[in-house]
Amino acid sequence: MSASLHDSTQMFSAVWKLLRLRGQISFNSFKHAKKSRKFWTLIGWAGLLAFIGIIFWLSFLLLRFLRSPELPQYVGLDVSPFLQAIPTLIFSILFFGIFLTSFGVLLQALYLSGDMDFLLAAPVPIRAVFISKLLQAVLPNFGIAAIFALPVLFGLGISGGYSLAYYPLVVLVMFTLTLAAAGLSALLVMSVVRIFPARRVAEVLGFVGAMASMICSQTGNLSNSLNGSGDPSLAQANELATLVTKLNVPWLPLNWAGRGLTEIGEGRWLAGWLLLALTFGLAAAAFWIALVTAEGWYYSGWARIQVVTNKKKPTRASSSGTNKVSLAATLSQQFLPAPVRGLVKRDFLILTRDLRQVSQLVSPLIFGLLYTFMFFRNGSEPPAGRGEAPDWFMESLGALLVYGNVGMSLFVGWMLLGRLSGTAISREGKNYWLLKASPLRPAHLLAAKFIVAYLPALALGWFFLIGISLLQGISWTGFFYGLLVVAMCLAGMNGILLSLGAAGANFAWEDPRKMNSGNLGCLGTILAGLFLPLSFGLFIGPLWVVAALQIPMFYGYLTGLVLGIALSLVCAWLPLKIVEGRVAKLDEA
Amino acid sequence: MATISPLIETIDLVKKYGEKLAVDNVSIEVYGGEIFGFLGPNGAGKTTTIKMIVGLLQPSSGMVKVAGHDVQAQPLQAKSASGYVPDTPNLYAKLSGRELLSFVAELYDLDRKQAIRRIDELLRMFDLAEAADDTIDSYSHGMQQKASLAAALMHDPKVLVLDEPTVGLDPKSARLIKDILRQIADRGAAVMLSTHILEIAERMCDRIGIINKGQLVAVGTMQELRNLGQTGEASLEDIFLGLTGGAEAAEIAEILK
Repeated sequence: MSASLHDSTQMFSAVWKLLRLRGQISFNSFKHAKKSRKFWTLIGWAGLLAFIGIIFWLSFLLLRFLRSPELPQYVGLDVSPFLQAIPTLIFSILFFGIFLTSFGVLLQALYLSGDMDFLLAAPVPIRAVFISKLLQAVLPNFGIAAIFALPVLFGLGISGGYSLAYYPLVVLVMFTLTLAAAGLSALLVMSVVRIFPARRVAEVLGFVGAMASMICSQTGNLSNSLNGSGDPSLAQANELATLVTKLNVPWLPLNWAGRGLTEIGEGRWLAGWLLLALTFGLAAAAFWIALVTAEGWYYSGWARIQVVTNKKKPTRASSSGTNKVSLAATLSQQFLPAPVRGLVKRDFLILTRDLRQVSQLVSPLIFGLLYTFMFFRNGSEPPAGRGEAPDWFMESLGALLVYGNVGMSLFVGWMLLGRLSGTAISREGKNYWLLKASPLRPAHLLAAKFIVAYLPALALGWFFLIGISLLQGISWTGFFYGLLVVAMCLAGMNGILLSLGAAGANFAWEDPRKMNSGNLGCLGTILAGLFLPLSFGLFIGPLWVVAALQIPMFYGYLTGLVLGIALSLVCAWLPLKIVEGRVAKLDEA
Repeated sequence: MATISPLIETIDLVKKYGEKLAVDNVSIEVYGGEIFGFLGPNGAGKTTTIKMIVGLLQPSSGMVKVAGHDVQAQPLQAKSASGYVPDTPNLYAKLSGRELLSFVAELYDLDRKQAIRRIDELLRMFDLAEAADDTIDSYSHGMQQKASLAAALMHDPKVLVLDEPTVGLDPKSARLIKDILRQIADRGAAVMLSTHILEIAERMCDRIGIINKGQLVAVGTMQELRNLGQTGEASLEDIFLGLTGGAEAAEIAEILK
């Protein structure tokens, strides 16, 4: 008994030390940060507090309104079952949200963090390492969930005049459910890592996560497009309320937590405590199982990573390409210097092999398809809106949609360029030393990066242009003009994005999703955003003018070409020329 | 010495990070045919000096010449003549060993057929032929170190600069690298390496430079270093500790026994 107590004391002491260390690291990061960063961090925290206050206030007002006895008389809606189901709804979202989102974070914290060698070599109980890693991983997620959930649950309590015991119990239940969900998520992580290498799982997860978040973010748009109207009706609200009340079923464990709190809040103590005891018991059991399993699985899984890292992968079918001579290779040998050729070939190889980067490249294609679908579903006509826009605006918008094919192609090309061009140099990461130590001219580096970003964006832009033009039945002249407009606009935009991304290149990243090119990269995005309508306007504007003046269209095309190409070429070349000198000095402290 | 003019020459080299003086007036000459060992305690300025030699860092003042070319004024010529192996072999994880070498061949604009031959030769030499088509993220630290050295040797450089080349290598690989460096030097190239393993420096290097707190405190052959401190038959360790102030620490450690 005393040995067991000693073990527990030792474990909690170790957990405390590890968490304190993490806290000290965070504090030191803040303490040694630049003044401007400190300032913005404090502003961020103040903003967050204000945000919590606003959510709390709005929730309180809304819930008080929903609880008002007059409401059922006026709208014929009985919202009390809905109000009773709110805690269950929130706890269900919290539990499944933490379970799903913790997977990636736990994978990183438990298996891929750099301090594992140090921790496992130290006389620290493996349970303590597991618990501290688990807490480090889920606390940020818990914090985010609490920002949204606590104001609503507290607002529910205040508007319903709940007893004081309700409030601390809300926090306790939320934390317990978070631990249980994270424990189960950790079990899943440990099971998966026993079968697949952790690094590969992280790559696949990055890809799946990016795709899922993008699809989720666009589901609303697509749904609105399919339904025709985005205005929620009373019937829809009723449907939602009915759906939520369906969660209020006695056999659902997550409902025990919600109902238990409501019972306690409303003063039915016995039933409330019984339901909460069931909740705590079940959550503790889930966490305990995870903890006990972790003792064996965690170490063996982690140790396996060390072996897997060194394990040979099946030999690739001579992917070096050293013996293949394709048409593209022959052409590139004719026109491109060897270092540019090498860089282009290498970048394409890496882009297609790293799943985390592939996800960033696939998203513009999906966005493009989605918006094209919506574009055609709306009959390529400007949205009717509420009829408040002036006639001249609607006519201009209608005329602009004639060139919707070009606009859509530029839009998808822009999205792809945003991912490929702005971070083109930063993508080198810690490998940049190899380029810097070699006799590579900055101009060659920029040229290669330009090609690597431009070709896929152009291919995607043209793919959409061809597809939409075929569906719209655009004239041959308009089609070829469109091809040229897309090619030139994307070139100009690429020059702007690449140059500013290069000037602010950041090589210190581990996860490709975290690479960025700082403030200059942001400036590049803004400038490219300004360039696009300007350049598009220079190409298309003269066509409208000659049509309005009833001059032959030939002159419109000619003027558009001269003006548009001139601006695009200047933007494609000049910014790169300006940053060439800076590129030579990149990565020097 | 095989050649009269040095292949690596640093003249009054200075590097400052803000107020901190990392390298203070370091002047070194390394000639073709010799292996030059660059020693110093942690944070003495070895890696900073090496990075300035290979063109990764710009000096605050002073000059670096590689194969007669000013690294600042003629970076492309200087870099064409040098090969560099960093202390941490960060290589493109998603390329195979063969693809990495092929890429390096294109960076240095090597003849295609010659490059293919050279790649096979280097992969065999470094015992990487079997793993040549595996991506580098599946390589062990030692294999990555060897791939990094193979990449540095792709263009048969006149000057080879290595930062801690034997760290993380097994005895067989360490021996292989030592033999290769000797061969390269014997063919007339200048080899400069930094190491903490004094035994390697003592056995391998023709001349040794010791840097402490950014300043070059001694340079010469083993015999010249012994004469410098009038230490007779002293080992390199004794000389090193004497020059870098580590001797007192050694005495304290002795007392603590």
